[in-house]
Amino acid sequence: MESGKLASFFEEDLCLFSLRSRKKNSVLQEMVRHLNKTGRISDEQFIMEMLKNRESLGSTGLGMGVAFPHGRSLAIQKLTVLFGYSSSGIDFGALDGKPVNIFFLILAPSDKGAETYLALLSELIGVIQKPDKLNKLMKVRDFKSLTEILDGKE
Amino acid sequence: MREEFRLLIGLQDIDVMIKEAKDKSTSKELQEMGFQLTGLEELQKARKKIADKIPPSLLNRYEKLADHFTVAILPVPGNMCLGCFVKLPTSFFSSAYSHELLTCENCGRLLYIP
Repeated sequence: MESGKLASFFEEDLCLFSLRSRKKNSVLQEMVRHLNKTGRISDEQFIMEMLKNRESLGSTGLGMGVAFPHGRSLAIQKLTVLFGYSSSGIDFGALDGKPVNIFFLILAPSDKGAETYLALLSELIGVIQKPDKLNKLMKVRDFKSLTEILDGKE
Repeated sequence: MREEFRLLIGLQDIDVMIKEAKDKSTSKELQEMGFQLTGLEELQKARKKIADKIPPSLLNRYEKLADHFTVAILPVPGNMCLGCFVKLPTSFFSSAYSHELLTCENCGRLLYIP
């Protein structure tokens, strides 16, 4: 993936800076419902089931307060990312046991190869592994700042 | 949408995930990123739960296709099969068929009109 292009996968109306949910399934539901309301998915139930099944394979909460729920489904037409932030943090069964504040929900069509989302996933994980970027992401409250952090302009 | 279409689509989403988890290259990549893929058994249980609800003849048809193709069942949003990209005959879109599970005459994939 080209450097400086990470932000191009994000859309302003798919950034939720104040998630209200307090539990794992309800935060997934809140984000999926938003994707449905904004017309990005064709069926909320398919996506929810797929994400819950993905979590049963192993939590996508990688630690450090960040989770990457992801998967492929027929109910999505193109690679889509939703950014979510919870100020209180959510028990997401993360690998380090800590609450999750930041969610990168990544969905890809099932008729395309896994590589369509794996590269994006890898890039995003690379970002949160940089302590200065992670600290900034924990404080981000608007789309412009988010894209600047992702593209290394901040 | 008919319940059996929904079940097949749900089954396919799980199958795509199971294939990824079993694929050496993909699972290695995911594990290197930090993901643990330890719940394959749970996933198999979820698959069985759905598969048990699908009529055996339809399940058998789906499974044969799923052995060949990543995606065995597809919606038809336009006038072609999105699996093999062959144009479908006009008769395919007759309203009489709109609630039926159809078959692409070229590749054999299961198709439905969303």
